[in-house]
Amino acid sequence: MNLRIREMVAGDVPGAAMIESVTFDAPWSERLFAEDLVASGRHWFVAERDGELVGYAGGWLLQDDAHLMNIAVRADARGHGTGRALLSTLIVRLKESGARRMTLEVRPANTAAIALYESVGMRPAGLRPGYYAETGEDALIMWGELEDTYPEDRPPLILAIESSCDETAAAVIMGERTLLANIVASQIDFHARFGGVVPEIASRKHTEAIVDVIAEAMQEAGGALREAGDTRAPTAGEPLDFSALDAIAVTYGPGLVGALVVGLAYAKGLAFATGLPLVGVNHLEGHIFANVLADPAVQPPLVALLVSGGHTSLVHMPRWGEYRTMGETLDDATGEAFDKVAKVLGLGYPGGPVLSRLAADGDPTALDFPRAMMRSGDYQFSLSGLKTAVINHIRHEQAAGREIDVPDLAASFQAAVIDVQVSKAVRAVTETGATTFCLGGGVAANPALREALRSAIEPLGVHVSVPPLHLCTDNAAMIAAAGYHRYLNGDRLGLEADAMPGLRLDVVDPA
Amino acid sequence: MTWSITTFSANQTFQCGRTLAPLLVAGDVVLLSGDLGAGKTQLTKGMADGLGVVEPVTSPTFNILLVHEGRLPLYHFDLYRLDRGAQLEDLDYYGTLEAGGVAVVEWGDRFAEAMPDDGISVTLNIVGDESRRIDLAPLGSRGAELAAAWAAGCDAVPGISVVESSR
Repeated sequence: MNLRIREMVAGDVPGAAMIESVTFDAPWSERLFAEDLVASGRHWFVAERDGELVGYAGGWLLQDDAHLMNIAVRADARGHGTGRALLSTLIVRLKESGARRMTLEVRPANTAAIALYESVGMRPAGLRPGYYAETGEDALIMWGELEDTYPEDRPPLILAIESSCDETAAAVIMGERTLLANIVASQIDFHARFGGVVPEIASRKHTEAIVDVIAEAMQEAGGALREAGDTRAPTAGEPLDFSALDAIAVTYGPGLVGALVVGLAYAKGLAFATGLPLVGVNHLEGHIFANVLADPAVQPPLVALLVSGGHTSLVHMPRWGEYRTMGETLDDATGEAFDKVAKVLGLGYPGGPVLSRLAADGDPTALDFPRAMMRSGDYQFSLSGLKTAVINHIRHEQAAGREIDVPDLAASFQAAVIDVQVSKAVRAVTETGATTFCLGGGVAANPALREALRSAIEPLGVHVSVPPLHLCTDNAAMIAAAGYHRYLNGDRLGLEADAMPGLRLDVVDPA
Repeated sequence: MTWSITTFSANQTFQCGRTLAPLLVAGDVVLLSGDLGAGKTQLTKGMADGLGVVEPVTSPTFNILLVHEGRLPLYHFDLYRLDRGAQLEDLDYYGTLEAGGVAVVEWGDRFAEAMPDDGISVTLNIVGDESRRIDLAPLGSRGAELAAAWAAGCDAVPGISVVESSR
């Protein structure tokens, strides 16, 4: 399902030669591949689909002239953007290495290949008569200034779509962290458009919202790009054109399946219609990148604590794109525990934020609630027992006819949650040697948690990043930021990809 | 016929759930209701353990449905966050109940539409800090058979008490 572009290594040669032999009339031999791979000025990449080699591309750089030597995609893997992903990765590399122009030869009858080359700015520049010795066919020479195709002052534009749970969201990012638009459905005046119904759980609601949310994002991005004086900007008042984009990023898990499929189907449809590469992003990875977006000092190796209504996990990111889940909740998520305790206290649902506001006025030492898993020696969390202890306390007080001091109870509950999280976060940072610590997810908005983590971890000489409040809850800006990194890394999602409600962070990019 | 099972610790509630697991066949549905902290998660964890589920059975409140692979697939629903029974259609609730696994539905009593034709409706009541009364009400003939076998299984677990009553 997952497409990954990486540099070719010696072990790839037999697989590449196999594809070569069924693709071309005069194929390169294994030996030719092996020799070229180590020759100077050569840059070779392979495409892997679910770990299987399905294509490759190679370029030769002589001073500032690049020559596309060979590119092939196995017949059954074509039509999913594999060739485009290979070509764009190769061109970016050649450019980085100093290439200013590129040439290539292609059979005039190969219209699909010619269209692909034209889409990256290559233009016909003449014929090489009788180039293909085995058939006597002429070759079409194509030529392009790489400045025109991938200029450095034109960082890629990526549209990101997020619909993993309650929020329908879209964002457009330019490069690593220039946000051109960031739309979350609930921020728009949907009351006027949908008669007071705010998009939420049902996939139907995402379906109703997604077209408008993306249209709004493209409109805003068009204006922002025009203000920046970018040549890709539309005329005044017009939305950014899809053809100006470089890729589409989308959350494909984890989350609620009925919600995920809406964003994914839209993104796949758009990728198919425009020919743009599709980049799959893990929602949890997005919460880490909310930090990257807001704080340029965030760099791996890092440890992230992700706490929201649906998640509680400690993640180690030793390098960009490589994740190891150190521990997770065994039962309730942190935000869920806050919401459920708030519910028992009659604060409504979801009442977690109300609970944390009340906690600010209470005494965190008033009640001694259990610190579950505090000394378990691992990185697992358990919040169900704490929830039950709080409920038992309320029952006892009510039975005894005593009034509950809600701020004290809220503060004591919150302290029990925070103590465990801080202690595990400190240990995770120390054990991994991480130089950055990030907080992410909806509960990252909790002021007491932010403060407790800062004061425990900063003295260790570790940079602590907490996202701005508007990037804590679900949004597409963080998906765009994560998508940018995956795009540069050559990661592509096939058009046959399904939503993965149980998607693990660790398997996104096994390294 | 209905049954009231009383457990005296979270571990006994877990064991009660575990006792049900070997009796389950594809298509069985267990509705769970009871206040927050009543032990729905413990009971489900026991069932999952008995079904051979290895991964932690975390709360499905956020995702509404979490699927666990065991001897049979375990479809763990939590309808807490739904506003209307009509949203069950959006979740493919009915299709999932018939998808070849066992369904555990927390807060299934919130919507009449969530009630299956057959199965067991389980209500958990907080009796003391650790004690829970687990009431089993069959919804059809398969539910009656399953509930009777489950209650008998629990009766054999030391410490757990079972009371049978006819309505």
